[in-house]
Amino acid sequence: MRLLLIEDDPEAARFVLKGLREGGYSVEHAADGRDGLFRATEGNYDAIITDRMLPHMDGLAIVQLLRQQGCDTPVLVLSALGNVDDRVRGLRAGGDDYLTKPFAFVELLARVEALLRRKAGPQATTTLKVGNLELDLLGRRARRDGREIDLTSKEFTLLEFLVRRAGQVVTRTMLLEGVWDLQFDPQTNLIDVHISRLRHAVDRGFDRVLIHTVRGAGYVVRDDGP
Amino acid sequence: MAPSDRPPFSSSFRTSTFRLAIAYCVLFTVSVSTLLGAIYLITRSVLANEVDNVILIELDALADEYDREGQSGVSAELTRLRESWGRAGAIYLLVDPGLEKRAGNLSAWPFAGVPKERWLEFDIEALRDGAMVHDPVRARVVEFPDGYRLLVGTEVSERRRFQEQFRAATLWAIGLTALLGALMGLWLSRRLMARVRAISSACQQIVAGDFARRLPVGGSRDEFAALAVAVNHVLTRLDEQTLTVRATFDSAAHDLRGPLFRLRGRLEELQGAAALDAEARGSIDRALKDIDSVQRTLAILLQIAQAESGVALAESARLDLGELVQEITELYAPAARARGLSLACDVEVAWVNGHRQLLTQLLANLIENAVNYAGSGARITVTVRADAAGARLEVADNGPGIPVEDRERALRPFVRLSRAASAGSGLGLSLVAAIARLHQARLTLEDNAPGLCVVVRFQTARPENAPEEHAMPVLPAPRVGAEA
Repeated sequence: MRLLLIEDDPEAARFVLKGLREGGYSVEHAADGRDGLFRATEGNYDAIITDRMLPHMDGLAIVQLLRQQGCDTPVLVLSALGNVDDRVRGLRAGGDDYLTKPFAFVELLARVEALLRRKAGPQATTTLKVGNLELDLLGRRARRDGREIDLTSKEFTLLEFLVRRAGQVVTRTMLLEGVWDLQFDPQTNLIDVHISRLRHAVDRGFDRVLIHTVRGAGYVVRDDGP
Repeated sequence: MAPSDRPPFSSSFRTSTFRLAIAYCVLFTVSVSTLLGAIYLITRSVLANEVDNVILIELDALADEYDREGQSGVSAELTRLRESWGRAGAIYLLVDPGLEKRAGNLSAWPFAGVPKERWLEFDIEALRDGAMVHDPVRARVVEFPDGYRLLVGTEVSERRRFQEQFRAATLWAIGLTALLGALMGLWLSRRLMARVRAISSACQQIVAGDFARRLPVGGSRDEFAALAVAVNHVLTRLDEQTLTVRATFDSAAHDLRGPLFRLRGRLEELQGAAALDAEARGSIDRALKDIDSVQRTLAILLQIAQAESGVALAESARLDLGELVQEITELYAPAARARGLSLACDVEVAWVNGHRQLLTQLLANLIENAVNYAGSGARITVTVRADAAGARLEVADNGPGIPVEDRERALRPFVRLSRAASAGSGLGLSLVAAIARLHQARLTLEDNAPGLCVVVRFQTARPENAPEEHAMPVLPAPRVGAEA
């Protein structure tokens, strides 16, 4: 997987590059907007990570130009800006995801992974399956081992979000954004309580646990096999 | 002061222009009436004098004739005057001391006895166009030493008719003046109202977040255009300032978050290093938590600044406050239950114009506050009610509440009322207050007896794309206060 990082802060770029390379990606780096746009247009990348405030050219302008040129490489916008509407503007400009600095590195890794998987193609499907857990997306019903699981509508949405990303780490912020459509940082850990209720419904009474906690990062739905 | 729902210009009759026009109209009508009245009176007196003078001259001449020739001379003169078709409408009568007619063109003495007045007015019967009419006569009588009396008069029906016509014309003129004045006033006030309305509606849209909008200037270079140009100037200045403020926020955020990001990155790098003992790892974990907390405070400060600057209004939209409250309450309910509190909501559909993310933040802060300060076992209820004035949001708990004297203080930044619970930054309620102000909502801290009840009153959202029906009332300054 080839990634492009457009970031002008050398120190920040150094450890993002290091972290991504340790995560198994091959990453190239552009230190300003013009170079970034040039590489993004020329090179064949699987995903682009760009800062917003860049010398010569704004990160959002790069995304807009890329989209105008018909380039559909997923873009993750990093921003140190403080406006509440920056995320909306970032997505409107054609960005696929938006992350405010400072962030934990696991957050960046989880989002890059999600972007790459999304690029692999969204499946138009009516059922999702992980192990013996089966989700009927039309009837919004979940079954495990053939037995109906009693879920509220929100719990089903939460489970669907996780199952669609089976095998990927999903962070709490991603859940807040994806399931509740909220971009805020609650003081209390709200998500854990919802996950523990979901886990209670999905995993109780089964030997094999499907919803796993990834320490310091988030959750992953995965069938570890027998 | 509750915002009035009634548009200020519901009718043309209530504008100051119309009142002014009516005042001018009354003044003008009075002037015209006085002028015409004076002309009428003067004309009448001139006409009357003329009639009287003619009578006096004739009477003098006839009296001289009497002195010279005696009764028979006057009789002959009267006959001559009658037959010569002298002046029009002339009336003569000579009577003896027994008031019997001796000469003249009047059939009989028109009075019973001898009147005392020197000038007399009476009606005579005359045949005109085959009909008997009564014609008014003005006359004067002179008594001779031998007891004979001579009456000389003029039939004044023409004069009367003229007077009546003049009076009618005067009344019509006054009526028309008043009517035209009133119509003119109405037209003027409507015209002015349309312009005021256009300006007012533009202002309303600007307040609602359309910062690029300007007041309509119009082609006529009148005082309204001058006013609009001046206001537009101010708006442009404000716009520039907003841009500057935005840029300041952006660079402040950038300059603070950049180093935080690098700091975080280095700590995470350290964490990844293999050779670390447990104590060092613990320190790094705590340092990372501190960074998160600094970041959170920074985010809240930036949000307060943005809410206060009004920049966020550009992204506001019509939304159902009830639905949003339900979502957030359901998000928080399990966490509250885990801490031994009950959190429930009771909502109805209530449309407001708002910034979804900021309203979410407002709700989250109020709920988090209640969860943190109401104490274990407390019951928290979030209520949304829609009414004609707008939407009312209530977050009520049955915890210890806030004493009346502390309520105003509680809304100020960095004020923590309770020493025990120091979980928050002390910014929560100031952010709530700033977001409420941005939405022109009124925030009050009330007594839930026992406990605290935070009330936020929103104005109802106008339906999207609804035609601008009235100019909007000037928005009352959003108020934040404490109520006992």
